[in-house]
Amino acid sequence: MGAPARDAGPAIEAVGVTKRFRGASGRAVDAVHDLTLEVAHGERLAFIGPNGAGKSTSIKMLTGILHPTAGEARVLGFVPWRERRALAERTGTLFGQRSQLWFELSPRQSLRMLAAIYGMDRGAEQRRVAQLGELLDAVDLFDVPVRDLSLGQRMRCELAACLLHEPHILFLDEPTIGLDLLAKRRFRELLVTLNEAGGTTVFLTSHDVADIEHVAQRVAVISAGRLIYDDTVPAMRRTMLSTKLVDVGLERPATPLALDGVSVVAQSDSDVQLSVDMARTSIRVVLASVLDAWSVSDISVVDPPLEQVIAEIYSERRR
Amino acid sequence: MRLRRIGVPADVAGRRLLADRDGWVVNCLFYLIVSGVLSALWRAAAGDGDIAGYSAAALTWYIVTAEAATCALSIRLIEEVGDEIGSGAVAVEMLRPVPVIVVRLVAEVGRGVARLATLLGPGVALAWLVVGPPPSAAGAVLAVPALVLALAANLCLQHAMAAAAFWLRDTRAMWFLYQKLVFILGGMLLPLEVLPDVLRDVAMVLPFMTMAYVPARLAAGHVEPVLLLVQVGWLVVLAAAAALAFARGQQRLQVVGG
Amino acid sequence: MSTRTTAVLRSAFADAAARRSAFWTQIAAMIVNDVAWVAFWLIFFNRVSSVRGWDADRVLLLFAVLTTSAGLVLGLLSNCRRIPTLVEDGSLDEVLALPVAPLPHLLVRRVDTVNLGDVAFGVVLFAVSGHPTGQRLLVFVAGSLASAVLLTGFLVLTGSLVFVNGGGRAGDLGLHSVLLLASYPADVFTGATKALLYTAVPAAFVSAVPARLIDDFTVSDALMLLGAACLFATLGWAAFTAGLRRYTSGSSWGRG
Repeated sequence: MGAPARDAGPAIEAVGVTKRFRGASGRAVDAVHDLTLEVAHGERLAFIGPNGAGKSTSIKMLTGILHPTAGEARVLGFVPWRERRALAERTGTLFGQRSQLWFELSPRQSLRMLAAIYGMDRGAEQRRVAQLGELLDAVDLFDVPVRDLSLGQRMRCELAACLLHEPHILFLDEPTIGLDLLAKRRFRELLVTLNEAGGTTVFLTSHDVADIEHVAQRVAVISAGRLIYDDTVPAMRRTMLSTKLVDVGLERPATPLALDGVSVVAQSDSDVQLSVDMARTSIRVVLASVLDAWSVSDISVVDPPLEQVIAEIYSERRR
Repeated sequence: MRLRRIGVPADVAGRRLLADRDGWVVNCLFYLIVSGVLSALWRAAAGDGDIAGYSAAALTWYIVTAEAATCALSIRLIEEVGDEIGSGAVAVEMLRPVPVIVVRLVAEVGRGVARLATLLGPGVALAWLVVGPPPSAAGAVLAVPALVLALAANLCLQHAMAAAAFWLRDTRAMWFLYQKLVFILGGMLLPLEVLPDVLRDVAMVLPFMTMAYVPARLAAGHVEPVLLLVQVGWLVVLAAAAALAFARGQQRLQVVGG
Repeated sequence: MSTRTTAVLRSAFADAAARRSAFWTQIAAMIVNDVAWVAFWLIFFNRVSSVRGWDADRVLLLFAVLTTSAGLVLGLLSNCRRIPTLVEDGSLDEVLALPVAPLPHLLVRRVDTVNLGDVAFGVVLFAVSGHPTGQRLLVFVAGSLASAVLLTGFLVLTGSLVFVNGGGRAGDLGLHSVLLLASYPADVFTGATKALLYTAVPAAFVSAVPARLIDDFTVSDALMLLGAACLFATLGWAAFTAGLRRYTSGSSWGRG
């Protein structure tokens, strides 16, 4: 690891963190309200919520870019908004839509500049860049100008940029936006590898439910600024993520079909949407039955939208 | 029917114009600063006497008018049109029944006149405050149509040059060159009488003089109505040049495939 | 700090150099621009031998200092004119995620090599028309540097208004105004305007005072120039720091 943490406490600790904004009309809105959260060293946390829920605001407070209106937080023992620079030497940040890399230069050249900023000497820089190239499978990307890289390739190089100084925590704000499915999967696998190999804590915000399933060990759900769920992924999977949706396009209207664990969400002469309870049946069984019984022109399996998961969480909560 | 086809885009352009209030204010401030600075310079140069037949007061009215004629036009017109052509936006407009050039020009002249009105208010107030009323009422009255003709001529030439974007694709350098030519040979920075003899003779036969010098000279008290005729003459020539350039460009775009 | 700054600057240069697209047309445009200005002054002084103590030679000195100074600032520290944009598009947040002092890093992070053409023009103009001697050259360099520091401070100061009012179109007005006003000898103006040029919009210090110093060095003028440069540099830094504090801890709705 690079520069050490200040104390032996949890990697991230937030208590009652609130950020209040005053809109143009003078009305006060809490972008984040009473956020209390703890992340242990080496943990992988997904911070999930719909757009505008307060994810970016939360990450900005934890990295010291914004000061909260109320509440306390410690990251690696530092108070982020008071000791931003010290914390920045020990954490890496990846904002999904933005880039640390110079567009016209090769990643290696950008890494050289960043190494100077982090105070690394040439030898350390070269060793680390080689190591990251291996780890991220990006060795042949490092010398290509960033403008010639695909988005997926660029994101791997961006990861290298935020890992250069061996941070304890990696903050990622919507990192998989705009990536195709294959690139997303590779990226998620990389995050898991980095975490398991180097012990880097991963704090990831997203509005993609698949990030929960493939990266996170723990998930926290924020909605309208409030934390409404915080539990391990296995627990969530047991209670929440047990449903998949199957969209079927039909050539002829469907005949009634009764399958265990399957219910019809919507139906027309040309389309049917099914809700499948994964605890009671499997996708394989459902697809086989559907393809057998109906004239199918098109079929797709999707995760339920995040809004539905959150709605489920709310209703769970109320019980 | 044809009029309505022109009227509607002109109206839309006018509406878009009103929405950009901030831009107007900034433009007006800039105009006042430029006019203030240049007129102060020329007043200091003239002192109690005159420069090439212009007194300090006349020079102030000259500058205020010349700057209004140039600041009233969108600063980036050539670039904008050139960019639009490069990007293919013009190809879409070409699908409309009315000739592209007519629609554009009407809209732009309208925009320019509106801007002119906002500039002249404070501009005239500034000049009056500093040196008193314009040297000749007749001249001031003639300057108004001269300003509109100046705008129209400037726009026609700009469109003709923008059409050259069909061939060149990068219009920024052209814009710079054009701007500097108008500044010096158009009489925006100085009355053309100030230029050394050879340059002055050249400037008088070029179209740039209709774009700032003519209205400014009238406002400065030199009542020479023949200048308006010169403007009309040039306007006809420049409008034809613009139409021709666009028509040629239209052909080429269709051939190349845009 | 300086190794970091050099590293960033070096990257900025490389990045700018790689953006070769419209480079030469822009250089050409710049030269046309500068030549046109010189032509204007030559025509002007063809009619008028001098204006309030300023003759052709001294005005060309003024222009040389201005192009050198503005070229340095807009070329090397080119982000100083972009502070409103950088704040509004989130680039500031990127900088805050790094262990660097935000203002210096922001300023050196982008180089617009095209503007360095102006520096070349200014130096050549001085060499050709400025009657260069050892002393005059020294004053030219020092004066241009002081002017550059002042101009940077002024632009950072006006740019920092974005933290208060959200920027908007006024952004470049400060830059264009000060450059325009600095293109003319300040003594041409009288009364309130002249006072303005020595204070709120320090155009006089950007060009006129350094030019005067080259021709006619007085200690009081020199001290005034240095004082003004320090003042505006401090004001710019203070405004940015205060604005940054407002940005990070304030309650104005912004970036979601």
